Amino acid sequence: MNIEILEKTPFTLKLYVKDLPIHVLNAIRRAVMSEVPVMAIDYVIFIENSSVFYDEYIAHRLGLIPLTSENASDKYKSPEECAEAGEKKVFSTDCFVKLDLEAEGPENGMLTIYSRDLASSDSDVKPVFDNIPLAKLVKGQKIKLEAFARLGRGKEHIKWSPVSAATHKYVPNIIINSENCNGCGKCIDACPRGVLKLVDGKAVINESNLLLCSFCRLCEQVCEPRAIRVSHREDEYVLYLDFTGALSPRKTLIEASNILIKKLDEFEEKLKNLGVIQ
Amino acid sequence: MLFPVRCFTCGAPIGHLWEEYIKRVKQGEPPAKVLDELGVKRYCCRRMFLSHVEIADEVLHFPKVS
Repeated sequence: MNIEILEKTPFTLKLYVKDLPIHVLNAIRRAVMSEVPVMAIDYVIFIENSSVFYDEYIAHRLGLIPLTSENASDKYKSPEECAEAGEKKVFSTDCFVKLDLEAEGPENGMLTIYSRDLASSDSDVKPVFDNIPLAKLVKGQKIKLEAFARLGRGKEHIKWSPVSAATHKYVPNIIINSENCNGCGKCIDACPRGVLKLVDGKAVINESNLLLCSFCRLCEQVCEPRAIRVSHREDEYVLYLDFTGALSPRKTLIEASNILIKKLDEFEEKLKNLGVIQ
Repeated sequence: MLFPVRCFTCGAPIGHLWEEYIKRVKQGEPPAKVLDELGVKRYCCRRMFLSHVEIADEVLHFPKVS
């Protein structure tokens, strides 16, 4: 296996993966999306809400705020245990982080409540972004609420996923038969991503744009001498992950791999118990 | 009402970018340039900004019916 980093920022990761079957890569991608636990607000208790926004509307906005969860999986109980506790309305401190919010409209003008105004009971679990507008208040309007965040998994609700976009893509293999190519340049005009260019009267691949190819095959269709063929490389893929900021890319991938290993071990154990394997 | 916390399609957090976006667009910068600089790449997220109308500011002054 060979991995090359194409792009790495605090919120994105793009990897060029070679010699790894797509089902393995997809298993990792799906584990990242739906299995890696992160924190998100799950219950909101409204003590007072005289704003124009309905309770449900504010609760929904609160739920979607990404919360920093880097140390949360070590400090708090598993999503499954905490989901059960939540259903019984037992907001114990080993499962739930409490976030308080209290605000009142000013005498003059308007007050915007931001995600930074949430006072968290745990300094490790707080909104990733400080300036998400949550509600607006004018004179005489008041909001007082208690929100409870717990660990959860993306398969239960997407607010518990550490990533937003998570994709894998084939790597294009564009074969140009330079003997048949008549240098008409139609393929270059047809390509919406600028993957091809004309050099010395022949169409060649513009290497810097190769990964932008979307396999639309317009170049193939417009080529009268049929000199271009678009296919993909075997066992070469580009994995792209767009993080919400709840977990670091490093922690997300380590957790995802550990979850997959644990699932495979459980499967093997089950087969052993049933006598299918030795 | 208010600008959404996340993109409806891909789920990327975008709520924190709204105030800077609208401030700069009102100052006369082209929306495309502002979105590029804020790092909003996909067209699902970009349309969230382009199509949003902040009606909350007006609704704020009407009493709630409930």
